[in-house]
Amino acid sequence: MKINIGIADVKVSDDPGVTLVTHSLGSCIGLAVYDPVAKVGGLLHYMLPESDLDPKKAKNRPLMFADTGIPILFKSCYKLGAVKGRMIVKVAGGSQVMDASGVFNIGKRNYAALRKIFWRNKVIIDAEDIGGTSNRTMWLSIATGELSLKVSGQGYKVL
Amino acid sequence: MDIEAIIKSIKKLPPFPDVATKALKILDDPDASADQLISIIQYDQAITANVLKLCNSAYYGLRRKVRSLREGLVLLGNAELKNIILASTVVKFFHKENKGYDLARGELWRHAVATGIISKIISDRVTESEPPSLFTAALLHDIGKVVLGSFVDRYFEQIIALVKEGKHSFLEAERELLGIDHAEVGAKVAESWNFPEDIVQAIRLHHRPEGASDDDPLTPIIYLANIVTLSMGIGVGRDGLSYRGKEEIMKRYGLKAKDLQEIVIDFYDEYNKVQNILGLV
Repeated sequence: MKINIGIADVKVSDDPGVTLVTHSLGSCIGLAVYDPVAKVGGLLHYMLPESDLDPKKAKNRPLMFADTGIPILFKSCYKLGAVKGRMIVKVAGGSQVMDASGVFNIGKRNYAALRKIFWRNKVIIDAEDIGGTSNRTMWLSIATGELSLKVSGQGYKVL
Repeated sequence: MDIEAIIKSIKKLPPFPDVATKALKILDDPDASADQLISIIQYDQAITANVLKLCNSAYYGLRRKVRSLREGLVLLGNAELKNIILASTVVKFFHKENKGYDLARGELWRHAVATGIISKIISDRVTESEPPSLFTAALLHDIGKVVLGSFVDRYFEQIIALVKEGKHSFLEAERELLGIDHAEVGAKVAESWNFPEDIVQAIRLHHRPEGASDDDPLTPIIYLANIVTLSMGIGVGRDGLSYRGKEEIMKRYGLKAKDLQEIVIDFYDEYNKVQNILGLV
């Protein structure tokens, strides 16, 4: 069964019949985590880097932001038996339009926010497909932990 | 060259419904009466059904059910009804999957509606009053992709190769290889529908806002709204985000990177309310 993760949304599962999928990753980031022993996985699709942009909004919709959304993803996986040390972490998205000035680079900021949080929490990224001008879709198989990507202009690949 | 074939296929597109053209004209006329409007719309069942569906959507949060066009008009007012009639009318051009741009059924419509919402959010921030053609131009800005979709397929590898070299945006590569780009094709479609000149220009220049005249309030807003929608990856096909972000347009309105993030937040709230409009496809 495919379970769709919308924009500013997260889903976790320990059902081997499930594939988590998220579409429309432009500047947004898709973060997939998977514990191969517990066979628990989760997928987060967040939109913006820092919740201090709008703390009130962040309270109601924490999944919108990297700094409030990422902890929810990890904690939800722990609840299903995942263990931090075993988790495989993969990241995709963070692209942007062609822009030398940097004013449109929400994607880059989204990725930088993630790196900052991971550095503080000693989380290592196992694989990533980040940046450029591509649009991406990602699938995480709960049975195998395989992460597949569709990258606009490039086609399908396994990350 | 394919350009003649492209122009020919513009002419094959179904005409813009006469009913809608008349209705929109009436809604723009402050002296027109509700009866005039209703007398025109009521004979088009598809539009009437869509209008009622949208009037009753959660987006408007009306407490009682709208059963007739007259009730809809009274409860929502001219401006909103105009947008509803418009969305109900143009949706039929967006029905099909677009193989050329690799857009599944409904994706181009999703992109159109999202750009419509974002254009209103940006307009609220940067203008004193919303340009009357804003929503129309936003919904239709990529109509050229509907036509060009049958042609880009053959050239896709070449277009992507050109874009990868780094000097061309997708639009510029289209122009280089096909002799015309989706913005220009869209403008020609709008011209063939006898749309007002400001909408034609906004469609034509939606990736080249620097070409618009200084007193054109529409084009730069449509440009920015489209860039934000593309950045969000909504209804984006194989062309990806390979279009130019133009800092000077942001500067013109005094907008900064942080403003873009706030626009994205505002958009998210609105977008969740328009599932009924998206469901028209």
